Amino acid sequence: MASEVPDGRPLPAADEFGAGDPRRAMTNVIEVNNLTKRFGRLVAVDDVSFCVEEGEIFGLLGENGAGKTTTIEILEGFQRADHGSVVVLGVDPRHSHRAWRDQIGLVLQESEFDPVHTVNETLKLFASFFSNPRGVAETLELVGLGNKADERVGRLSGGQKRRVDVALGIVGRPRLLFLDEPTTGFDPVARKEFWSVIEELRETGTSIVLTTHYMEEAERLCDRLAIMSKGQIVQEGTSAALISALGSTTIHFEHCNDLDVDALCSACGASFIVRDAMVTALLGTGVSEVLLRLLTWAESTGTELHGLEVVRPTLNDVFLGATEAHP
Amino acid sequence: MRFVRLSVAQAIYNLRGYLRSLRTVVLGVVMPVGLLVILSWVFAHQGQIAAAAGYQISAIAFYAGGLTAYGLMLGTFTGVMTAIVSAREAGWLKRFRGSPMPPGSYLAGQIIFNVVISLALVIVMMGIATLVYGLQLRLVSLFAMFCYALIGVICFTAIAMAVTRIITTPEMGSSVGPFVAITLSFTSGVFLPPDLMPHWLVNVSNYLPLEPLAQSMQTALAVHAGTGFIGRTFVVLAIWGAVSFVVARFTFTWQPLRR
Repeated sequence: MASEVPDGRPLPAADEFGAGDPRRAMTNVIEVNNLTKRFGRLVAVDDVSFCVEEGEIFGLLGENGAGKTTTIEILEGFQRADHGSVVVLGVDPRHSHRAWRDQIGLVLQESEFDPVHTVNETLKLFASFFSNPRGVAETLELVGLGNKADERVGRLSGGQKRRVDVALGIVGRPRLLFLDEPTTGFDPVARKEFWSVIEELRETGTSIVLTTHYMEEAERLCDRLAIMSKGQIVQEGTSAALISALGSTTIHFEHCNDLDVDALCSACGASFIVRDAMVTALLGTGVSEVLLRLLTWAESTGTELHGLEVVRPTLNDVFLGATEAHP
Repeated sequence: MRFVRLSVAQAIYNLRGYLRSLRTVVLGVVMPVGLLVILSWVFAHQGQIAAAAGYQISAIAFYAGGLTAYGLMLGTFTGVMTAIVSAREAGWLKRFRGSPMPPGSYLAGQIIFNVVISLALVIVMMGIATLVYGLQLRLVSLFAMFCYALIGVICFTAIAMAVTRIITTPEMGSSVGPFVAITLSFTSGVFLPPDLMPHWLVNVSNYLPLEPLAQSMQTALAVHAGTGFIGRTFVVLAIWGAVSFVVARFTFTWQPLRR
């Protein structure tokens, strides 16, 4: 009887044990159980539970207002949870102390710097707070600002300032790094460069919590991810697992006004939907049969399948499916 | 030791920013110096001015002392308020709070930085008053000026911190600061001798922070013996500083107010 919880539910997985429980996995840097946060009537975070393991990159995805930033700010100790337990590096962030903050790196969603100081000066001040900081030159090299050390912060481009932000986040050699929408406002080239910075940090063993609304970024960087919608986690797992759970193949083509979607569905034996001016179906098995029926249907009805593509589903499909299913 | 090192690092960071941004230097030093030059020139024929506490003092002692106090308030109060609000709204204070920096070192850094620029202000003002306008400055008077500057900076830093909760933008800070300083300067015997003002206004001003500071600095420069220390000044400034500090302790926030 001792091995069962009283109400007969099966034992929780190791990750779900409380912080003080010796049975819990020792490698978790973050453990969140039944976290709830309200702002007046709005439930910003609604009974959320998840874990982040040492050394992994964990992604929190969701639309604006889904509760990502609130969740992350509770983990960082800037906001208090109304309900539930949060343990970050073995400590409740509400009772964080200096030694704890010494191991945490923060890249906040918005922050600006005093424009009259140089990159080097800004970073040096911040480095002085930490007990074992990375060298300033080394840090700047890591974020690709090696040649901007003596430039005043006010003269940097938006993407370069964001890299200063990241440099401030990692200069203390954090064990755990929070990145809140780090690449918002980046051009595609800067974004790709930033990804390699994060991948280098992964090599050093830093655990990272990343929020983003770029699916490509999450798919590329995150070992595991959770999709939030309306304050709840609606999907969680590796991106490969989430994608394969969705299906093996996506078929889509351009929508035209006189297209009868219901007729199309019954003719093909698949559920097509219209999204962003595209007709889309996600398929598990029987891809070739659906394709054959689609082409037959198109020919018999004289429909032009403009822009027809048969592709592997992406994380974007998972994301749209997850957020649309929880309106 | 770590606390001192980090406080000094903050002060140096602030000082560097100060020297690189022209506006703050103009506000804190150039303006009081300019006013000293203009007012001393305009009122040079006045000879003696009836300052508060019943002293008859020379026009130059009146203006050099009063305008130093005024410059100190303008620079420290406006400077600290604007620095805190802009750092807070930029998310910079939030980053500090999320780092292992001891919170008090930020405050200490602000105080050290403002003490340095206020001592520089005292030296510049006394230099001009002595070399150009023939003020007879005794060493003990200079020492008294430094002591007043020190407690003035601590007091105005605390007041500035206490009001940051209601100052939501840096722009608001940089207009509220000079507005308060200029208003107070008229009631505090900085530009106009107090005997030109109604009695009740003088009585009220006695308990506001600028008047005691201005009066003490004027007296320190005017007396011919002793230090001219006025005990009441230390009491009034200490009470303002302590009350403000308590208010700041409960209202200060590291996170941006605008969302």
